[in-house]
Amino acid sequence: MQAFNYKFQQLEPLKSFKRVPVPEMYVPGHRTCAGCGPALNYRLVAKAAGKETIFIGPTGCMYVANSSYLCTPYAVSWIHAQITNGGAVASGIEAAFKVAARKGRNTGVFPNIIVMAGDGGSVDIGLQAMSGMMYRNHKVLFICYDNESYANTGIQTSPTTPYGAKTTFTPPGKEIPEGKVLFPKDPPQLVIGGHPAVKYVATTTIAHPLDLMNKVRKALSQPGPTFLHMLATCPKGWLFPEHLTKEMARLAVETGMWTLYEWENGTYKYTNVPKKYKPVNEYMKHQGRFAHLKPEHIAKMQAFVDEKIKNVKQAIAVAAPVPTARQKA
Amino acid sequence: MAKELIMTGCRAAAEGAKAAEVEVICSFPIRPYTAIMMELAKMVADGELNAEFIHGEGEHAQLSVVLGAAASGARAYTGSSGVGVTYAMEIYSPMAGGRYPAQMAIADRTLDPPGDFGSEHTDAMCTRDQGWLLGWADSPQEVYDNTLINYRVGEDHRVMLPQMVCQEGYFVSHIPDKVILGDQSQVKKFLPPYRPIGPLSTTKPVSHGPQIRPDQGAPMDAMRAAVFLDVPKVIEEATADFNRIFGRNYDPFVDQYKLADAEIAFFVMGAHANTCRKAVDRLRKQGVKAGMARLRWVRPWPTHQLANALGHVKAIGVVETSTSYGGAMRGGNLIHELRASLYDLDQRPLVTSFMAGLGGETIWPADFDYMAKVLTEMVKEKKTKRYVYWIGM
Amino acid sequence: MAKELPGYGTINVPKERQVPFGAVTKAPVCTQQLFITSNWRVVRPVKDDEKCTRCLICYMSCPDACWIFKEEEDVMEWVSDFCKGCQICINECPSDALTAVPELDFPDGVVRLDKPF
Repeated sequence: MQAFNYKFQQLEPLKSFKRVPVPEMYVPGHRTCAGCGPALNYRLVAKAAGKETIFIGPTGCMYVANSSYLCTPYAVSWIHAQITNGGAVASGIEAAFKVAARKGRNTGVFPNIIVMAGDGGSVDIGLQAMSGMMYRNHKVLFICYDNESYANTGIQTSPTTPYGAKTTFTPPGKEIPEGKVLFPKDPPQLVIGGHPAVKYVATTTIAHPLDLMNKVRKALSQPGPTFLHMLATCPKGWLFPEHLTKEMARLAVETGMWTLYEWENGTYKYTNVPKKYKPVNEYMKHQGRFAHLKPEHIAKMQAFVDEKIKNVKQAIAVAAPVPTARQKA
Repeated sequence: MAKELIMTGCRAAAEGAKAAEVEVICSFPIRPYTAIMMELAKMVADGELNAEFIHGEGEHAQLSVVLGAAASGARAYTGSSGVGVTYAMEIYSPMAGGRYPAQMAIADRTLDPPGDFGSEHTDAMCTRDQGWLLGWADSPQEVYDNTLINYRVGEDHRVMLPQMVCQEGYFVSHIPDKVILGDQSQVKKFLPPYRPIGPLSTTKPVSHGPQIRPDQGAPMDAMRAAVFLDVPKVIEEATADFNRIFGRNYDPFVDQYKLADAEIAFFVMGAHANTCRKAVDRLRKQGVKAGMARLRWVRPWPTHQLANALGHVKAIGVVETSTSYGGAMRGGNLIHELRASLYDLDQRPLVTSFMAGLGGETIWPADFDYMAKVLTEMVKEKKTKRYVYWIGM
Repeated sequence: MAKELPGYGTINVPKERQVPFGAVTKAPVCTQQLFITSNWRVVRPVKDDEKCTRCLICYMSCPDACWIFKEEEDVMEWVSDFCKGCQICINECPSDALTAVPELDFPDGVVRLDKPF
């Protein structure tokens, strides 16, 4: 295809809360639970992306609880996709806007095309469509807002549900005391590992809103596919009081259950790395989904997290500028 | 200038899509429809067609891609065969319910097991109740023509529905025949540009497909059903325009061959009509008053048109090329709907069915002779003895 | 045709139950007024303007966008219509400027309303 200069958007980073765009693109008036993490996540993403945006919403909480009774909270264009096909629907939309631009039907800026998929809609049943979109180099931001379960259907386990979590499909019992026995998938690594067209991947939490919004803006300023893995804490599914929604996200980072990083063109950059990690139980003890665990299960989780954060420590050690002997002198 | 060429049904479909200036194409390989996408890929590569050619990761993705494209205002095109058609099953209803008028080309193939390349209508027939327009061509020429007619009907604002343009695998898709390609000025006169209703846009933000209220479930179904009350009128208009502009002579719904004075009739769909016409001629020479009705649209089903065309016939043999295991007649699907269409006539024809052309088998002239014999006996005895006959078995 | 065949009749969906074309609706502007959620809450955040530093953390913490910064007046404004009473803002406020007060303590408290929204 001959080179065509699409008017892709370049979104400048936001320096402070005061610089955050005022208009709400995910407006109040929706049926999400009080203290919903994914809803806050959606609001921050939409705010960061701005008016020239189209959302694709595969089935999940952010479809079912948001778009009830023919009224939706999306102030920008939004389309429902099946839980299976967010990436593919986005591909078609992006292709249509490309043709429209080439044929002169659409002369404005190229819209931000964002898939807002849950963990199931991205790395379980939606994995194939997501991977296909990324492989084909569509200019689409694929977001996995991760509430670590199929929450909308009543909290069933998903591939990102942590080890030891109680869900309605992994109830703890005499034979299976931990509840969930498997360890979760690592969505950003799935993307980074096998999609050469993707040049930018990052992780975020709702407890780090400016970091989150800037990662969204950076992802949207890339010419190709990008991926964000966003921790969206869920009071209903994880069984913690709803005022702790952000607290849980913060503790996830402080205990190493979640690591914040950017991956750009092969280079990792870790942010908000704690000087000293708190024990995982500091995070788990607040959540009813882990209440049934015995010390040996928590130890198993700690070992899993220790292994994970080893990479972070190594990466930081390599990335940090090490003064040479001559410089010292 | 219109030009006459020899080409396969696959090539004809691709030429139809090119004439319609499709903008987003989504492919996935499965025989036999693949050749359509091979042709289109070359057209895009050669710069003959300004379209996005997307390699879908499966048929489910193919449908999803064209759904997104149609929702964003692009004329979109995809296709499949056999198990590919059924793999995409989830997306048919959302596409029709969302009123996204993309087109899907089908070159029929038997469903698995155990893996049979042969043609059979069962694949596309599985989707017949999902709210799409659905019909079969009998030749590469009609494939080209139907591609244009379907876009015109599907994109009409009274309709706005996706369309499935079917041709038999191999019999049509891979056997070259004479095709007259229209001049682009004729195409432009016949097919206006796609005008989406409330497409995704940043200037007029919309929400596509939010959940409805519980009391709107039945109304939503009723409104989808109501669209089909208008479709026949639109098909008649479009066919008349097409005949006028391109100099063709299609009956909008039922292709009738020597039916006027027929006593027995074959009810067929697709390319087996070509053999059937010859068989009718031969039977006529032997003094058997045979005729043929070929169905051009399965959805919308032309109930009244069939009653009018076939009401006077004494016995009808439905040539089924799809299966309906355990169905009312224990054979195929068409007989159910044909019988229902004739039920309210004062003088109902006798109707039986013949399972033929399954798994890619040819229906031979001798098979039609056999069917004629069965039908003649039915007329003589004034009785339907069996609902279904499996040819050769 | 000797006899007139039955037709399909017409389908008349009552206007109030009709679904818009393709279930496509206009996007909301600023707020979704069709979905007021204030009657969900049992407590509401009450702000002490002396303690409030306008750090905007509450604004960045609310899933329902219920804190607005009024720049000219230099004050944070709470949006009653949509606050579900989750108390994230109260938990996050770094200067203890917010307190959870039961709805029953207010004459206009939503739990008192005869008719929920």
